Amino acid sequence: MQNGLQSRMDRLFNRHGDGRAVCVAADHGYMSDVTPNVTKLRSIVSATIRGGVDGILLSPGQAMRLAPLFQGRDGPALIVRADWMNMPRLGTSNVSNSVPQRLLLHQKVLTAEQALALGATAITIYLFLGYNDRMEANGIDVCARFAAECHKVGLPCIMEPLAYGGQVTGSNIVEILTLGARTCVELGADALKIPYTGDVESFRNLCQISEIPVLVLGGARSDTERDALELFAEGQEAGGSGCLMGRNVTKSPDPQRMVAQLCSIAHKGWSVDRALRTEDWNFMRLKAHPADCTGCQLCVTACVASHGEGSFGNHLSRLRIDPGSKPGAHKVMFCTLCKKCLDVCPSQALRWHAETGAVELLVDRCTACDKCVEVCPTGVIVRSDESVQVASGQTLPWYPVVCDLCAGEPECARICPTSAIFVDERKELA
Amino acid sequence: MNSKTYHLREFINPADGRSIVVDTSAGLSLGPLPGLEHFMESVSPILPVADGLIASPGQSRKILGRTRQDAALLMRADWTNALRSSNFVLPPETIIHIPMFSPRDGLDLGVSALVVYFLLGHEEQIEAGCLKTTVQFAIQGDEVGIPLIVDVQPVGPRVVMRDKAIELGVSYALEAGADGIAVPWPGRNSFEMILAMSAEVPVWVKPSSLDAIPSELDEALALGGVGLWLDERLFTHPDPIGLLKTCTTRIHPALLAEQP
Repeated sequence: MQNGLQSRMDRLFNRHGDGRAVCVAADHGYMSDVTPNVTKLRSIVSATIRGGVDGILLSPGQAMRLAPLFQGRDGPALIVRADWMNMPRLGTSNVSNSVPQRLLLHQKVLTAEQALALGATAITIYLFLGYNDRMEANGIDVCARFAAECHKVGLPCIMEPLAYGGQVTGSNIVEILTLGARTCVELGADALKIPYTGDVESFRNLCQISEIPVLVLGGARSDTERDALELFAEGQEAGGSGCLMGRNVTKSPDPQRMVAQLCSIAHKGWSVDRALRTEDWNFMRLKAHPADCTGCQLCVTACVASHGEGSFGNHLSRLRIDPGSKPGAHKVMFCTLCKKCLDVCPSQALRWHAETGAVELLVDRCTACDKCVEVCPTGVIVRSDESVQVASGQTLPWYPVVCDLCAGEPECARICPTSAIFVDERKELA
Repeated sequence: MNSKTYHLREFINPADGRSIVVDTSAGLSLGPLPGLEHFMESVSPILPVADGLIASPGQSRKILGRTRQDAALLMRADWTNALRSSNFVLPPETIIHIPMFSPRDGLDLGVSALVVYFLLGHEEQIEAGCLKTTVQFAIQGDEVGIPLIVDVQPVGPRVVMRDKAIELGVSYALEAGADGIAVPWPGRNSFEMILAMSAEVPVWVKPSSLDAIPSELDEALALGGVGLWLDERLFTHPDPIGLLKTCTTRIHPALLAEQP
């Protein structure tokens, strides 16, 4: 790979040394009707930069106008939209469509050299699949020429395959996107910007056959912030290299926070739950709204399954639901971090975990005296099924199974369909 | 400041940030219009009153000997038959828009800016062509320091919401790299939206009619518009120079008050 191409790929994908990039698409004013995210572009772009965004996609005109925002060694990478299309304005169903379009039109607008002169770290270009044969052939021709032009000047070319038109159905869209991804790679794309296929497995397959960085795009704004973050997290889990999200960020009431959340998922490996927290917690604890508990026991099953003890049945769960006579009367019993087990342990085998603040068992000190099991007021410390050999060579017939808050990501809270169990901040260790 | 900013100051008065521009380039596609049959005769008296004068490249070459008090010259860089009506001598069968002159040509002619149409409401190819021209002229203009002013024209039959179409045209012009924008008066709400969107990019308003100038101009200036953009209809007025002076008084009141 040329030095220029490699260094620009690094600038985009390796700012954090993890090969991932959180990018924001802010080029909607170039193609769709005017919306608030278009009119407040400068403030939105500034906010995303404060949030730590790795790259921002802009139209050529806004790239010229907003160039000063990209300066500095911590400045984000500028990605320039090198083509134009009218897809968002097609049809008459969009009531805000002031000048409806009948035919899909897609054209190259910039040369690679012009994009480079604008300060671009990369460019993006569409490839439409499913509209008609001529559109596909034209797109392939444009993409092939553009990739060659980009590589001549060492500019990464991000291609964006889109499934759109009469040939696209709900049942073939994944196949078309996969075809598009592979076609782009064959045409010389350096990275892909592509819609999420809807499930981890098919997206993983798409990433694997691509063998170049894949950025997931967000599409229309999700109903909730969580939905957008979960889409992104699934893309990451499937092998994606980040995102190039537009409206989910630019239409967010707080674009800075949204970008920060995406960055924490991409670069710190945080879960969606943790990313959604508005502030850093030193420690956490479980809490419950018993009135919301339906008694479904999913938390109990998830607790056992996530700890992978290989046991069948839920008797090793670190929490339990005491059934009530009717919904809203169930009792959610879990470790309340009351410290009684720590206090009663004669061998100091129990202590607070330094990072999570959960109860931690030092099994080598444990004597299986049963005192912690007896003293637990909620009855959620249980005896293990298995024996364990400790450092002294002695074999304990069992050891106490304690809630470890799943290393900071409690599965019970994540899985609870009614959020009856949730995590809250624990201000200090008792 | 860069070259483009300096050029913009040649027809946007830096003392008050306002401007009055007269577009005399319609002859390029509409031929000799009433009041503009004898171009230099009609235009010469305008030069000391207006801040900017838009002319076709051919007529630009004729406007010689301008002094420091005369209007800056802006060059119309494209051609279209979209402004011809159905009763024109050559009514358009197919709408066409073509870029003719580049920013480099404008630099050779010594103009202060290039002006191009942005046509909305015609076939998709026309809009796409306008967008591509705007992007290319903006980038080439940036290279040679010539600003690009986009003249938004929502005149096609597909326009269903005129004010929204004007907003769309402004959005496209901005995204494509325009340094200034002229829009037909879209109404107060839309104009506010346009000004919010355009931020530091100057926006001229083209009045609905000569009679509507006072009300629309006052409102546009109060909201933050840069000034007035008059077209060939000015020359149908019995006293175009008088009308222009009246407009200038509204646009530059403070400057005129300072004059002895």
